[in-house]
Amino acid sequence: MAVCVAIIGKDNSPKFFTALNPDEELNYQYKVLSSLDIVEEKLGVGAKSGSDLRELYLGMLYSLETHKIYGYVTNTKIKFIIIVDSTNMALRDNEIRSMFRKIHSEYADTVCNPFYIPGEPISSKPFDVNIKNIMTGTV
Amino acid sequence: MQVSNVQDSVDLPPELCVKPLALVGVSGLDTLNNAIHKAIWETFSSNRRVERAPVFFKLISNAYEFPVCKPKRSSYDWYIPKGILKKNWMNKHLYEIPAVIVIFYDLDWNDPQWSEKMIECASRVQSMRAALEGRNSRITVVLIQNTLPLPAGEDLLASERAIALCSSCELNSQSLFVLPHGDHLQGYAIRLENAFYEFAQTYYHNEAKNVKSHKEHINKNTHQYLFVRHQFKMGFLNELKQDVHTAHKHYTHAYNNLLEIRIVDTNALEIRTVAGFINYKLCRLMFTLNLPRDAISQFKAHIDRFKNRMGFQELSFEHYAWLSKQYSVFADVFDEAVKQGLPAVQTQHPGIYYQQAAQFAIMRKKSCLELCSSVKTYPHPDPLEGASHLEFYGQRPWRPGKVSAEPPDPQLEQNGIRALQFLETQVNHSTIIISLYGLAVAQYKTYRCPRTRRHLVLQMADEYYNSKDYGKSLTLLTHMLWDFRTERWSDILSQILEKALRCAYLTANTQDYVLLAVEILGSSVCISLDDKRRIYENLNRVLKKQIPFGDPKLPQDVLQNAIVLWQPVFSTAPLLFSLDVSNIITCVETKARFTKNKYEVDQNVTIEVYIRNTCPFLLTFSSFSVTINTPDYNSEIGATNLEAKSLHFHSNEVKRFVIEFVPDSNDVNKEIQIGSINILLGNPLECCLDLKYTSMTNVSSNYPELLHFKRTNDELDFGNIRPLSSATIVPRNSKLNVNFVHHQPALLGEWYEIKIDISNDEQYSIKDMKIEVDLGDEASNAEVAMQPKGSPQKLPLFLSSPSSLQTKEQTSATVFVRAHDAGKYHLQVKITYTLDSEKPVFCIKSDKIVILVVQPFEVTVKFLSLMMEETDRFYTGEEFGVMTQLNFNSPWPIFIEDTNFEFLTPVNSVEGNLTSQVAGMLFNNEEMGVEIRLGVCNKTLESEANIGQYTVKWHRENGHSTTTQITISGLPCESIPLGLKMIAPAHGFVRTPMVLSYHLQNRSQQLIQLDVFMEASEAFMFAGYKQFQISILPHSTRVLNYNMYPLIAGNVAIPRLNLTVPENDSGEPPVMQEDQLKRLIERSIPSHIYVMPQVKGKPTYPIDMVTPQEITSN
Repeated sequence: MAVCVAIIGKDNSPKFFTALNPDEELNYQYKVLSSLDIVEEKLGVGAKSGSDLRELYLGMLYSLETHKIYGYVTNTKIKFIIIVDSTNMALRDNEIRSMFRKIHSEYADTVCNPFYIPGEPISSKPFDVNIKNIMTGTV
Repeated sequence: MQVSNVQDSVDLPPELCVKPLALVGVSGLDTLNNAIHKAIWETFSSNRRVERAPVFFKLISNAYEFPVCKPKRSSYDWYIPKGILKKNWMNKHLYEIPAVIVIFYDLDWNDPQWSEKMIECASRVQSMRAALEGRNSRITVVLIQNTLPLPAGEDLLASERAIALCSSCELNSQSLFVLPHGDHLQGYAIRLENAFYEFAQTYYHNEAKNVKSHKEHINKNTHQYLFVRHQFKMGFLNELKQDVHTAHKHYTHAYNNLLEIRIVDTNALEIRTVAGFINYKLCRLMFTLNLPRDAISQFKAHIDRFKNRMGFQELSFEHYAWLSKQYSVFADVFDEAVKQGLPAVQTQHPGIYYQQAAQFAIMRKKSCLELCSSVKTYPHPDPLEGASHLEFYGQRPWRPGKVSAEPPDPQLEQNGIRALQFLETQVNHSTIIISLYGLAVAQYKTYRCPRTRRHLVLQMADEYYNSKDYGKSLTLLTHMLWDFRTERWSDILSQILEKALRCAYLTANTQDYVLLAVEILGSSVCISLDDKRRIYENLNRVLKKQIPFGDPKLPQDVLQNAIVLWQPVFSTAPLLFSLDVSNIITCVETKARFTKNKYEVDQNVTIEVYIRNTCPFLLTFSSFSVTINTPDYNSEIGATNLEAKSLHFHSNEVKRFVIEFVPDSNDVNKEIQIGSINILLGNPLECCLDLKYTSMTNVSSNYPELLHFKRTNDELDFGNIRPLSSATIVPRNSKLNVNFVHHQPALLGEWYEIKIDISNDEQYSIKDMKIEVDLGDEASNAEVAMQPKGSPQKLPLFLSSPSSLQTKEQTSATVFVRAHDAGKYHLQVKITYTLDSEKPVFCIKSDKIVILVVQPFEVTVKFLSLMMEETDRFYTGEEFGVMTQLNFNSPWPIFIEDTNFEFLTPVNSVEGNLTSQVAGMLFNNEEMGVEIRLGVCNKTLESEANIGQYTVKWHRENGHSTTTQITISGLPCESIPLGLKMIAPAHGFVRTPMVLSYHLQNRSQQLIQLDVFMEASEAFMFAGYKQFQISILPHSTRVLNYNMYPLIAGNVAIPRLNLTVPENDSGEPPVMQEDQLKRLIERSIPSHIYVMPQVKGKPTYPIDMVTPQEITSN
């Protein structure tokens, strides 16, 4: 179960942000923001080494006392960030990976919506529900 | 003093942190009075660089007292250690007990008082030895000598006396050194120093072995502390010995032994402290050994082990302080390693540990606030008395050396805790936290984590806020705002803005206060409407020069202070705050654009200004203006004649304003820009805000092209207004009416007339008019003139025209163009003039005429033989016809005035008087005019040559006469010695005789002999030589006459004349070839003749009828 999911645009501004506990949201925002540093660095290095372009999953970005932060970047430089409680041992790398894939496909669906304007924050209710379901693992 | 004691329990003692260096005691140097000694001392002690031996020199005076050596313990059976690490031990070995004692003594080998001095030296060694009673320090003697030593073995006196000295001092001979204080002091010093270092290593090695030997006497049950202590000591001694590997091994053992000790409340602090020490040593050594991963994992394990060993709940701040210190110390060590060249990465660098240290410092502060707020007095008697004289590290001053688990005295314990709590309240936590954040920020900056760094800076700002340093907090917050604005994290931004606003309020920083308020009121900031309303009202209060109300959440005393600060702010004259809000999304959004990207200089420039209020409340502006930048100056244009109500903006209302101004005529062909929009909020007489919007870039979206998909409610559609921030001032559009009268297409070679009709449709008369004509790139192929004849003029051509023109007056100018090649020509016509109005305006009217040039006609030439057959060559002396053919392709009828064909030598005209056959005729398109002229060539020509010039003088109807000359190229010319011509009547009649005469002309210098044979024909009876041989003399003509009597009518073949060259025996080449003759006949003699039916009545005979006599006579 993830505690927070964030979608960050290519300009590093938040497009979607949800946390299971809304009170913690601001705190998570700071965490996500900090982890963007790592994402940026990884992207910069990746461009140089020309490593596998199909691998979108960045792995763990930060392992903090209380939380672990994972990252995933689409080819269009949309960043997905998942924050997981450090105590949560059920989520292994593979689960995180599949969670990201689900989020990615949800995101793709939403972006395909003709009423969505690219670059705008996502404010779709079904999207929110779906992401929440992915977070809680009910999908 | 007490506070520093508390810090001591957390800070690492300096003796732990220094890099252990072998201690070398230096005695016998009188550095105060003796210059030589002073120089020697300085050579040893100062300027110790990395490459010098790791030795620390200590000057030992005669009065120096070495620490007393404890009596050797034979058995540890009854010994119970009272603590783990003695406080004085490290210091003792670092600074007090030298590994090597160096006794300097001034003595030359040849000293006159040798024996006395030797005895004195020996006594010094003895006294030193006595002082060092029980220590194993190595004693060495260095003789300071004036003379340079001779090579070893040569100076017998020296070696002899050296042995004597050694024996009297009871010294090993290797412990005696000689230091000539001459030129190379430094070099000698380094060599000596290395020798001392070797002695020191041996000493420390032995010391460590000595400690190790205790091991067999101690047991795990009672001497757990000693296991730790001994291992630590061995580690430390090995460090002194510079044996890092062994030291690391011993420290590891020490750490592991420490972990085996059961932790109870009474020893928690001590174990924690010692663990911190050993961990510090371990991490540092591992970084030195280039094992950074091991160091990090050791540190993490260390923290994990001790994080939850809090000890007394009442002293939890102490635990946090310790944790914070652990992190910061590790960060220091890490940073030091990085400075030594260890590469750190973004995810693993000292900053992370500084940050953690700061976190724990915050927790320390929190727990301090929680636990210590009730403690207001320091307990009496002082339970912390003697804290600085404790024997062991990490013990409580009120129960030192208590090892047993016996329950401590609760009252004493309570007092001690209270004392510590009281001291904790005296600590300035914020400073600690802020400085840790400062260190972390610097590290994060180095490791390219701008966002994390920003987060830390915000936390730092929070801490400043907490420590009531609102000004610094505000500075940090406003610095960070910009970055968050660009990345549009609006939640975070809102939070920062609120904090910053609070700080601005508390520091009565009006400028920032209003700026932040204006930003907070914008739609992108998501705070509650109530808060916005409060801020809105406060902003209005500031504009009315009233003190705004503070955040009700702030404590009362803080608010009081703030109000005191606000008091003087409004006492001064009218306040004006100029705020550059270009990069800030405020509650007022503006857009301005030119309505066109080009303005003529006499037109008004119009600027549309759109203003939107995104604040949820009504906003009223007092005025606004637009600044226009031109390359030379800036001018501000205010909005005028605004109705009072038009500057009232309801929430989310958009209004459009139009500003007009007349451009300066100096700005023609320059770009003008909208520099900024200034909006004035508030009353200029009291307090007003000048919001300045400079950059016109649209920062709100990545994809401006997609914005029109966004639904907006305002009818002006603010979001989709594209700013157009620059426009060009162009010359005014001329109202001259210019017409070109000409008849396309132009014909090649003619002076093509273009008439330019100009009529002045301007409101004013014009003057200084100039008409300039220019050809573009085609200038090399065409000419321009003012007259249809004469020489062409240079380009550009200024046409003659009246220079001024009244209104409605008309004039015209004519220009002639002649092209030398068919194709398209572009004629530029530019009319410049000045308008004769109150304000003279310079105008340009330019136009372009496209002229299509075609050929009027094409000339083709054919060459004909006299038989009117086309020929491919000329023959000398033989006439030929030149047929010129004009194919007209001009759409205009062309009148041929005259044509002329002039032959050039060697070709001459045969005809005497030539008149043109097509002159005076009018030809339409696709018609043809053909002429033929006869010529004769007198010379053989190998190749084609120019034989004449064909001149056609023509004009189009009503056009100007044009002469076209064409050079005609002829055919090769062969020579032939024989000329042949048949003279015959135009036609004959049946049964009526007629005469054919063949003229054979010899044009050569030779005699020509030919066989003549006349073939018989059915159509004719004829009289004359049928077959005979003729000889033609040079330059003479022989005529053969035949009487022909036609028998049938029609176009009848004439009996063929055959000429052959007779058989020649002489071997000379014949004058002519057979085929030459044959072709001659073919081209010179007609093969047929028209014979008419017989005339009624008697036929008339030709006059020149040949009589038979005549034939024979020939």
